[in-house]
Amino acid sequence: MALLTPFNKMPELNTANILLVENEEQFQTKLADVIVNYEKQINVNVRLARKLPLPIENADTRPRIDLVVFIVNLIYERSLQAMESSIKHLDSGFFVGKVCFLVTGARCGSVSHERLLSVRKLAASLHCPMLCAEDQTTEGVRAAALRLLSIVKVSAGLVPTATALYLSALTRCTLPAELDQD
Amino acid sequence: MSETSQLSGLDADASRQSDSSDPGLCNRSLRENVRKKVDAETQFRLSLKYLSEVEAGTVVKGNDQLERNLVVVESVALSRGLSPEAISILLDFALSLRVGGNICLRVLKFLIPATIVTQDAVVRGVSWLCVGKMPMSAQVLFVRWVLTVFDLVDCKDQLRDIYGFIFSFVTDENLCPYICHLLYLLTMKEHVKPYRVKKLLDVQAKMGRQPFLSQLLALYKVFCPELVVVSLPSRMKIGFKNHNSPWKSALAAVQRKNRGEVLTDQSLVLAVKEKPTSRKRKLHHLEIPPLSSAFHSSSSNRKVFRLEQLSSFSQLLENLHNIELPAQMGSLLSSSLALHYLDCVQDESASLRLNFWLGDSLHQEFLFGPADGSSEASGEASHFLSMLLSTQHFLQEGFSSTESFLYKFLSVWDGSLFRPQILGLLSDIPLVPSSCIKTLLFEPLMQLYFTSTVFFKCSVIECLNIMLVKWLTWHSVSASEDSLDISLNSTSAMSMTLSGFMDSVMELVRFVGRLATVGLQLENCHALLLCHALNFYETVCDMFLKYSLPLFVMPPVGVFYPALFAVDSVTVDQLGYIMARYRKNLTLAKKQEQQKQQTFHVRGNTYKEFNQLLVTMVSCLWNSKMFLPGMGMEIGEDLLAQSSVPEFWNSFDLIHHPAFLSYAIEFHQKCWPERRDVDLNSIKVGKYRNWYMEFLLNQGFDGLKEFVQVNINQRSISSGSQGDGQPVSQT
Repeated sequence: MALLTPFNKMPELNTANILLVENEEQFQTKLADVIVNYEKQINVNVRLARKLPLPIENADTRPRIDLVVFIVNLIYERSLQAMESSIKHLDSGFFVGKVCFLVTGARCGSVSHERLLSVRKLAASLHCPMLCAEDQTTEGVRAAALRLLSIVKVSAGLVPTATALYLSALTRCTLPAELDQD
Repeated sequence: MSETSQLSGLDADASRQSDSSDPGLCNRSLRENVRKKVDAETQFRLSLKYLSEVEAGTVVKGNDQLERNLVVVESVALSRGLSPEAISILLDFALSLRVGGNICLRVLKFLIPATIVTQDAVVRGVSWLCVGKMPMSAQVLFVRWVLTVFDLVDCKDQLRDIYGFIFSFVTDENLCPYICHLLYLLTMKEHVKPYRVKKLLDVQAKMGRQPFLSQLLALYKVFCPELVVVSLPSRMKIGFKNHNSPWKSALAAVQRKNRGEVLTDQSLVLAVKEKPTSRKRKLHHLEIPPLSSAFHSSSSNRKVFRLEQLSSFSQLLENLHNIELPAQMGSLLSSSLALHYLDCVQDESASLRLNFWLGDSLHQEFLFGPADGSSEASGEASHFLSMLLSTQHFLQEGFSSTESFLYKFLSVWDGSLFRPQILGLLSDIPLVPSSCIKTLLFEPLMQLYFTSTVFFKCSVIECLNIMLVKWLTWHSVSASEDSLDISLNSTSAMSMTLSGFMDSVMELVRFVGRLATVGLQLENCHALLLCHALNFYETVCDMFLKYSLPLFVMPPVGVFYPALFAVDSVTVDQLGYIMARYRKNLTLAKKQEQQKQQTFHVRGNTYKEFNQLLVTMVSCLWNSKMFLPGMGMEIGEDLLAQSSVPEFWNSFDLIHHPAFLSYAIEFHQKCWPERRDVDLNSIKVGKYRNWYMEFLLNQGFDGLKEFVQVNINQRSISSGSQGDGQPVSQT
């Protein structure tokens, strides 16, 4: 079982690498297109994976990963389980602002609400941000891509005034307000 | 009768269409289509007729004829919906249990109305319910069906007449939740009777505090507070679940389809409809229902004035005392006269009903909606939100259901969906107690704020600015009546003390201070973000003078210094205005404090903070002094020497400041047009300095002008000597 580590390779100049992990492989390609086409100032490389660990063959050629994004589709139970098993293959060095959860289907009723809660608990315990996204509309995909870009720029060290840990301290997920109990 | 005219109409239509293209072929296929349609129509009628005449006790098993006819009706029902008569016939057929319970359930499940449901059919259904032969599953399904189509029932007066019969089912454990919901929708003031309250309390004692019971009791309490003496939680979550699941998708599909076909095909609508606009009402929740009365005019002997008859403001004034609320409260949103009415009558039942409808619609569409990406649906949704927004602006008050919806929505928001509307609604929310403001509002907002673009950051700060202005305005209006105990808004029983209010405002101001500081840092002091942050502090600095709230919060250094050293003159000008206003507010507070007119006390620290900022600003801009001890920003001399900036203390005075450099150069050129090498220091000498100040302050920098007038005494301007900061004394 090979751990993916964040600091064992040198960064490249003006380059950010983002890894999108999604079991269903639906949303990640759309996101990747928008991210690559939108950003012109720096080189953003998007790498896609269904699950972790990544294959050991291209471990050498793989660049240093600056941000790992776990995409969870709350409509499928399987998506959540796949994420939970993938996350074990990450080195602890990633959890200083280089991991983020992106959930889709958060507005789809009571079934997904429980799954949302468990993702939120996981994100809160790992001190990671959790973003919600609308994967059905082009506008929603664009908005999600822009938010990921703003995070990856910081975690790749391209924003001189902020570090990954600093941003994650500001954005990390908190446990939900117990709205239902009033 | 209506059928033949319909048919000839279709024929004519067909032949007209065929003129345009290949006549022979098209004509034939169209005629075929028409014939098929007519066949299906006849088949449907025959099946309906058969079902209406089925004898009690007919064998079901192996009865092909029955099965065939059922299938015909079912397919029509699921594809196009049923006419009111067909509904009536089928409901009778099913509930009479002539062919047993299973068929009854099956029929109920495909009872999808195409247009409306007649009240008679529902009343007859209830009477079958009273017969008491139906199996429990059928009873529950029937009541759920009534709830689902409730808004499609043409009028409800007879249903209200049999209120007592319906009420009697409350004791049934299985039916109780649904019956309570139905009663909630039907209850009028005259229905609230002591024995009913007692019965409900008995049921509650037996079943425990169920939300549906509490909700119904709350409504009773609104109508007759003297009868319901039990205490009920003031903020209840919505007690009724939606019971429309078996029909929801089919009904939505039929209604969507019918909307499209409304002009082309009405052959299945047996009755001549009076109002074609009332075709679609519920289950696409976002449609604002049309105004319609809950009563037939004939049966109501009270002299009432219905809202839909209202056409002018004077009419409203004349009939204010006997206006009857419409059947569906949502319809109020579409009529400005109705909103006037809602605004001036403090009718709690009206706002309770409206809030219930609104909360349900918002939750259904935005939190439980299917992920539907069609542009039509999102257009409808954004239209609905805009409408809600303008209603709230009209009433100058946010609905409590909107508020609780927003808290839930914020936690699953992607930051872009309906952004203008959501932020608009957010700025409308009434004062949040400081104990829960953090979890409800700040934490979800922070996660969105720091991961989004600079433009989103700007709009969040703008939204919070508007929110603050609204809170302050509300305070200054209600505080004049009673300075200590302010009830939160007209509909809520929650009250808040002045100190509680100040706590909440303080939390908000501090929160925006943090957002602005860190945001500016992340965005490298983006000019637009800085402008929005300063706009916020324009509100904050005037809280005492404009809104008589004795609360003074200085801008954090993370906002102050970026603004002071900004490269655009507008920002520095705005900062000058803000500092001048702070000074005016603090001076007045000091004066009142000394004269013992006020009970408040301004912390000495506030003056100290202000003076430090003021001294720094005056020294930088006016006196060309920087980095001196006691100025808030100190840098060691050796470090400054290392930087090798010549005359660093000059760098941010009004001549050398990057924001004003261009003005200084222009002035220089005007004074000494022949000089080639620009020496800005020559402006500092003698009368040139005064001329330059006059020149600069006449460029439209009103904020800076005010700042200079307030803080720097005239003597020092005229003599050209060093001005002084004149800090507000601290004692």
